[in-house]
Amino acid sequence: MSLGYRGKEMKKKVGIPRALLYYKFEAMWKKFFEELGAEVIISPETNKTIKDLAVRYAPDEDCYSTKLYFGHAIYLKDKVDYFFIPRFGSDHEVNVGCPKFIGLAEVLNSLFPDFPEIIMPYFSKAKANHGKRRLLRIIFEIGFKFTYNPLKILKAGIRAFKAQREFEEQLHLSEQNLEKWIKSQIFLNGKPNLEKRKKPLKIALVGHPYMLNDKLSSLDIRENLLQKGINLITSLQMPRCTIENQMEKLNFNLYFQYEREILGTIMYFLENNTIDGILQLAVFSCGPDSIVLELASRYSKRQPETPLLQLVIDELTSELGFSTRLEAFFDMIDRRN
Amino acid sequence: MPITYPHFGSLTYVFEIVLRELGRTDIMLPKKPSRKTSELGSRYSPEFVCTPFKLTLGTFIEMLDMGADELGIGGGNMYCRFGLYWPVQEVILEDLGYDFKFVPIPIYDKPLGLIKSLQAESNNCTVWETIKAFRVTWIKTRYIELVDELHFKYRTLELEKNQADRLAEEAHRKIVEIQGLGNLREYGKKLPELFDKTIEIDRKKEKEAIKIGVCGEIYVALEPALNLDVHRKLNKLGVITKNCVSFGMLIDFGRKINPFITLPYQKARRVAKPYIGQRCGGEAQENIGDIILYKKKKWDGLIHLYPFTCMPEIITRSIAPQVSREYDMPFLSLVIDEQTGETGYQTRLEAFVDLLKRKKEKKVAR
Repeated sequence: MSLGYRGKEMKKKVGIPRALLYYKFEAMWKKFFEELGAEVIISPETNKTIKDLAVRYAPDEDCYSTKLYFGHAIYLKDKVDYFFIPRFGSDHEVNVGCPKFIGLAEVLNSLFPDFPEIIMPYFSKAKANHGKRRLLRIIFEIGFKFTYNPLKILKAGIRAFKAQREFEEQLHLSEQNLEKWIKSQIFLNGKPNLEKRKKPLKIALVGHPYMLNDKLSSLDIRENLLQKGINLITSLQMPRCTIENQMEKLNFNLYFQYEREILGTIMYFLENNTIDGILQLAVFSCGPDSIVLELASRYSKRQPETPLLQLVIDELTSELGFSTRLEAFFDMIDRRN
Repeated sequence: MPITYPHFGSLTYVFEIVLRELGRTDIMLPKKPSRKTSELGSRYSPEFVCTPFKLTLGTFIEMLDMGADELGIGGGNMYCRFGLYWPVQEVILEDLGYDFKFVPIPIYDKPLGLIKSLQAESNNCTVWETIKAFRVTWIKTRYIELVDELHFKYRTLELEKNQADRLAEEAHRKIVEIQGLGNLREYGKKLPELFDKTIEIDRKKEKEAIKIGVCGEIYVALEPALNLDVHRKLNKLGVITKNCVSFGMLIDFGRKINPFITLPYQKARRVAKPYIGQRCGGEAQENIGDIILYKKKKWDGLIHLYPFTCMPEIITRSIAPQVSREYDMPFLSLVIDEQTGETGYQTRLEAFVDLLKRKKEKKVAR
């Protein structure tokens, strides 16, 4: 790698760990710093080295995904001039993210004093009533670290948000496409391998984006399922209005923003009974997950037509035990059909 | 329709007060959680949910068996999962076949919203009556917390055993029963005197005794059944203790809107700013601030308790070592869950107290 190069027109390097919220705001963050003229360095996909670093240095009670975040950050620390770790509370009037997202930057700062400067804007619409003005301030505060041209900063901000909107539009399905998928007219996540099966099974893969998109921590589940001849939909792709409709059926407000799509997806498919099975991946010792796992399993007992498999993953999960369970689940579905 | 609520240390009295003031007569006082309660709760709870969930669920099951059918608990939107306790417990208890109704009170709501939801549970109170009831509650809470503070001090110093326990219980009951704010204030003023007169104390010990604050997640810090009665254990070791977290502060709107008073938790949040700049649920920011505040007050150490997998308090625990180092304030973090062994816990407390004693002796010798 040419990371050691230090020329005269060195671009400032901004490090973004590839974990947690990165999977949600990937497009926006990358675009913003690139437009500002910084070099964006994103840690590689989780590998053995990063996992070892994570297990060794992260606080021992954090959830698996947060531990991996520490691993990614430590992996990057000598390669960058700045870290970008936002203290993100929420982007909804009432609903919030996980409290750990807010504490991350400060915990890293406190545990590792030798870290490069961490850019940690605080944004929380629900609790601190932050709005567009706060956002503008954050954009300029960060921008002036890289350039003195306010127009450039503003342009970077606007383009970043546009990129994020486009990314989300592309990710989230429309309701028509969901219908099409349910009728097995389209494939959403690659074509399944149909050697062993005549007709692909339709399975909803449900979990956090940082779990489903991380190959190492999800034990490469997407590829694994495709090989088994399964037509996948993930909870990340579900149409937002479908999820909100489901959430309105609850007699309480599920105020964890990212759990809404998880529980919403499960409730939708349990209710409609149009697919073969639901597979929920949870992170060990994730606070919100502990609540949703229980709710999902109880709801599934009340509407038992669509089978639901819940798997909890941590750093000690073995690939063998994991795949045995998956196989048993699919065998069960095959026998039912 | 008997109403009940989770047992919550001395705050159990506070909830009783608020329900009484709202005109409810069908109150069922919660049973003190025992080993069996926590086993019952753990049996039906999700795998890695935090411990207060399990204990409150256990209490609810026991109380439902005894005939309660309205369950009061906190709710609303927050960073912590506490607000989602009742929906999950509702589903679990329904599956167990109980017939009941949950009464969630949105504790982080705006004052008027809080009043409205209290009014809904009252015995036909008007809004004004509800506000008055709420006001009486927060004023009585001040004295309940004062009794606790005196209790933990006099229990250490008393010459004859169990005197402080008995007196504290009497005083708590008296505060709950007392009618009229004038009488209450009069009684409250006499409280320190009452303790001083009734309990014979060891004056020499008072000067030497070390002082430890107990902070952490509010439920664990205040519920003796969950924290294995940390105050009693410390008092027995000759330590004067105090609760750093206080529920009274949160509902004390009288002091909150008074511009001349800065409440301790507001002070704590302010001094914690350099380490953790914003609230992130639980008592994370307050606990970090307390390390600094209690150092300034010349207390000897802090014990931080939190339930296993508590999200905000893990943040505290990760940042606290730095603050504790910078301010030279001993800080012991202990995780509590239903599996916590009594002996191991006692050993750690003893070791911590020994360390503080030696530290103090060194200081005196110098």
